Amino acid sequence: MEQLPLTEPVLLILLSLAGEPRHGYSILKDVERMSDGRVVLSTGTLYGALRRLLDGGWIERFEERETSRGRQAYRLTAHGRRNLQSEIARMKHLTRLASLRVAAKES
Amino acid sequence: MLTAYRRLLLFYPAEHREQFGQEMADVFGEAQAENQNKGAIAHCAFYVREIAGLLKGAMREHFRVVSGAHAGLSLYTGRFTMRDGFRFPKTTAVLMTIILAGLMLAIKRGEDIANSLSHVNPQIAPIQPMHLVLLSPIALMFAGFYAAGVIGWGILFALRRSGVHRLDEMSSERK
Repeated sequence: MEQLPLTEPVLLILLSLAGEPRHGYSILKDVERMSDGRVVLSTGTLYGALRRLLDGGWIERFEERETSRGRQAYRLTAHGRRNLQSEIARMKHLTRLASLRVAAKES
Repeated sequence: MLTAYRRLLLFYPAEHREQFGQEMADVFGEAQAENQNKGAIAHCAFYVREIAGLLKGAMREHFRVVSGAHAGLSLYTGRFTMRDGFRFPKTTAVLMTIILAGLMLAIKRGEDIANSLSHVNPQIAPIQPMHLVLLSPIALMFAGFYAAGVIGWGILFALRRSGVHRLDEMSSERK
């Protein structure tokens, strides 16, 4: 069960799925791309996070029909999207607050 | 290397392996293929990261099994439900036994080395048999974990037998 605030890898996984459903390897590559190579997930870390997100109902698993192998893919649920939005709102509030405080100190 | 990775997946609880094992191996295979063209350092970093991530993930999953979080204790909804696929964590018990055996061997080996050194250099006094002193708390700790696991599993099994999960299914069907 993921709890707010989210860890960076989990946040990046959710952001990766926010645009479109993806399979495991595609998530790995997208997370690496989004973080400019700073966050490189191992398969163990990725599937541990996916498992917790599945258990919490944040994401769901389905079989990709377009591919011949019929591999499993993941997409955000409505519950997951809501939680992601509230996490983004929390982060926006924090960054706004941080900017104000730092600016006030500098001036 | 893919074969070795599949073997390492055995460290995971059986349920996790059944659900994600094949997929994890496929993703590892794809990542490995992409990594082939990179340099030796990147290659080593990739394997270290994968093995470390896999072992860490396996420990985390075992902890979830032992702690019961895996059995569906949902803090978010405040409801306690049994998963149909719940089984006694045999791999956890096997892993703990292997760790205990490793500890015992390491202690015994240390004593042997200390005793052999004392023959070469009489100034080094032989170490007193420490394994008896160390093993009893370790054995007690493991016995405690085993007992907690068995009791936890018993409670969950009893709840399942009492039809809690059926009632839950019925209530979700009504919705």
